[in-house]
Amino acid sequence: MTSQAGLDRDRFVPRAGRIRGWVDLYVTMFRIAILNNIQYRVANYFYMIGMIAEPVIYLVVWSTIARQQGGQVGGFTPGQFAAYYIVWTLVRQMNIIFTPYGWEERIRQGELSAMLLRPLFPIHWDIALLAGWKLVVIVMWLPIAAVLTLLFSPELNVRPVDIAVFAVAIWGAYLVRTMPYWILGMASFWTTRVGPIFQLMFTAELLLSGRLVPLSLMPDWAQRLADVLPFKWTFGYPIEALIGHLPDAELFGGLAMQLLWIVIGVIGVRIVWRFAIRRYSAVAG
Amino acid sequence: MTLPSANTFAPASQPAIHVDALRKTFNVPVREAGLKAAVKSLVRRETREVRAVDDIGFEIGAGEIVGFLGPNGAGKTTTLKMLAGLLYPTSGEALVLGHVPSKREPAFLRRMTMVMGNRNQLQWDLPALDSYELIRAIYRLEPSDFRKTRDEFIELLDLGDLVNKPVRNLSLGERMKVEIVGALLHRPQVLFLDEPTIGLDVTMQKRIRSFVAEYNQRYGATVLLTSHYMADVQALCRRVVVIHHGRILYDGELARLGTRFDATKTIGVTLKEGMVDLSAYGEVLSSEDGRVTLRVSRTDAPEVAGRILRDLPVADLTIEDPPIEDVIERVFASGSGEPVGDDDAEGSAAVAQG
Amino acid sequence: MAGREPLRPFVLAGRFFRVGALNELQYRANFAVQLFQSAIAAGTGLAVLALVFGQTTNLNGWTQPELLAVMGVHILMGGVIATIIQPNMIRLMEDIRQGTLDFVLTKPEDAQVLVSVREIRIWQAVDCLVGAIVIVVAVVQLQVSFGIGQALAFAFAFVLGGLTIYCFWLILTVGAFWVVRMDQIVELFEGVYQSGRWPVTIYPGWLRISLTFLVPIAFAVTVPAEALTSRLTPETLALATGFAIALLVFTRWWWRFGLTRYSGASA
Repeated sequence: MTSQAGLDRDRFVPRAGRIRGWVDLYVTMFRIAILNNIQYRVANYFYMIGMIAEPVIYLVVWSTIARQQGGQVGGFTPGQFAAYYIVWTLVRQMNIIFTPYGWEERIRQGELSAMLLRPLFPIHWDIALLAGWKLVVIVMWLPIAAVLTLLFSPELNVRPVDIAVFAVAIWGAYLVRTMPYWILGMASFWTTRVGPIFQLMFTAELLLSGRLVPLSLMPDWAQRLADVLPFKWTFGYPIEALIGHLPDAELFGGLAMQLLWIVIGVIGVRIVWRFAIRRYSAVAG
Repeated sequence: MTLPSANTFAPASQPAIHVDALRKTFNVPVREAGLKAAVKSLVRRETREVRAVDDIGFEIGAGEIVGFLGPNGAGKTTTLKMLAGLLYPTSGEALVLGHVPSKREPAFLRRMTMVMGNRNQLQWDLPALDSYELIRAIYRLEPSDFRKTRDEFIELLDLGDLVNKPVRNLSLGERMKVEIVGALLHRPQVLFLDEPTIGLDVTMQKRIRSFVAEYNQRYGATVLLTSHYMADVQALCRRVVVIHHGRILYDGELARLGTRFDATKTIGVTLKEGMVDLSAYGEVLSSEDGRVTLRVSRTDAPEVAGRILRDLPVADLTIEDPPIEDVIERVFASGSGEPVGDDDAEGSAAVAQG
Repeated sequence: MAGREPLRPFVLAGRFFRVGALNELQYRANFAVQLFQSAIAAGTGLAVLALVFGQTTNLNGWTQPELLAVMGVHILMGGVIATIIQPNMIRLMEDIRQGTLDFVLTKPEDAQVLVSVREIRIWQAVDCLVGAIVIVVAVVQLQVSFGIGQALAFAFAFVLGGLTIYCFWLILTVGAFWVVRMDQIVELFEGVYQSGRWPVTIYPGWLRISLTFLVPIAFAVTVPAEALTSRLTPETLALATGFAIALLVFTRWWWRFGLTRYSGASA
């Protein structure tokens, strides 16, 4: 009972179900990511707890300065610094993306070849896997946020629209950040020395994204630079959206900027991929 | 077990795999040992051109199972990777099911699969069933049809509860079984199997072999198989392509390989008592436990056997073709593709290009 | 640990250092990478300091050169931890897990000393260099007379701090290995250690106490920095000394106790 090659079209979901196919694929990948994450939940909790040291330190430093300078600095009171850095801990988790180091490992282990055999562009896998992981992280974060709130008494004036925009912005932030580092990761096809470039980019991001300090505390030239780079929209913008610091124009304008950077990123990925795959297929396979 | 019954030669329609003048060269950096050479290499990188695959061509019809034989570095895996779309050919033409593999069209990727022995493509920490769902979603398989195929394969390989255990908890052989099911769930028409049974015990090897044969029979898939285990090739393939130094030395029936390349026979003699030096009769290959193995030319074999039977007190005498492994080894060792022995018109691709 | 030859640990450390150095010097790439990373980290730290002092003239009474000194000590101590302490603890954890600690226990040297000094990641010493440079710059900027007394006080406080952190690590490694994995501890520690970038006096009470006695960051970084900046009081130094000695004694006991529970390769 041999089936003829070519009469297999009925085995695949028809074209009409294309969107459903994508949704189904992403949901399945989320499921796998969640199942994987649950296996390592203890390790992940440790990882998350280790991550709160950084913002707590900044919080204390800047609150101290604020109190010394008469109650506020850079437009932030100690309570607002607390709010900033507590929301920071969630945004930090949402910012985690597939790094160039991951690319090096993936190439070395031959995993990339296995991925290339599938009819799926690898970035979908990277995005979906970490996205599913983040779904679990959001839940795990709530008790941490509660404890930090008790300890540091944040000041928040939040409107429902702020929360709604924030809910969208944290995912937008994730997508915005994914692309540049994915493109940098592809540099692994040409060189093994991606590390230093990554570090430089990461340091620039540290300073210009609002991760180290709220951007209003940076010198003017830095703030203007941050406006034209994608980093601000991955970190500082979502935080300020939630803690009630943004007027409506900036609130929604930020989402538009995120969309812009996502589109730029997608175009960049497609262009670089074409060269990258040619390079990979020429030498490694 | 019986050989698969799908037709092997003279495909009537378009061949499943078409390769013509395919070539792949790599530029490998060259550096000698020593400090001076190291310093020199900082300034100028010298490269050497390595021809991994050098002008090969063949055609494989739908439903054939073809074995790809060759020592390490012969170009087998490189060829397979080019056919799978992982490597770009330097020149020449390759067509699989009418597609150019290096274009990596989704339609092509959906109809093929590549299994590399010892490589895990399933999720390590999760049961295989979860990975199968992922495969279903990636290949956009119709759910009920997918389930039918999946259950059919699970039963064929007698996996039972293995698919419910995390893959990391399975033994090597069990892992290979669930991996190969995963590789075939989308019912590809072309299978590239690169050392699929490596590291497995004999029972498991047989299981995998029979599964591949069964799949080939049920779905008429074309299989290109490389293996170090002759047992794999002998069990599954009627036709073999022998490749060495990137060139095809032989492309034809496995059964004829011995005839083509080795015009010798092996005579095994067990004497009733005592030990006698049989080197007068032929080349002594081994002599232990009272059994002596001789190598003599094919034409002389009957006559030598007769003489031994006449001259000596023989308890047992056998005349055999030399094991295929030895044939192949000697072909590679000599490095030449010179066929020895009867030369019938096979009508297939390059022989004696060595 | 003292025994008959109080200097034995340092002699051994020196021997391992030489071997380790010879090995690691081959990996020149590691040095370059580490230099790059340390430079970037220091640069980022300086940027933060600049931001802080763009807004104020002192932080909780500490001026800019004084905070620079703290940063220098932080980097220097971080280098020591990364070069000697952490690699040994990581290896110790592996040995416990895999039962290969037997090889150490059967050697004629004191086991605790051996497991504490045998691993060196020499390229991390770049951090020590960077830290030292920052300290020198800070001291110069302080523009006070920096005499022998102060230098000795600093050296003494620094050694105490190093020993305190070492004890902390050993207690954690021996005590917690069956609960958590090593890389989790390392990550957690590295996070908490960042708090040492600033003098612990700026932290609220409960946090300050934790960072003094729970994870001894205060003794590792702040106290030596106080010595550099002439803030060190005899009381603090006495406390540091007492705490270090008590911790060393406890660690010794804890180590012995852990060994009795160690089941060896048969586990």
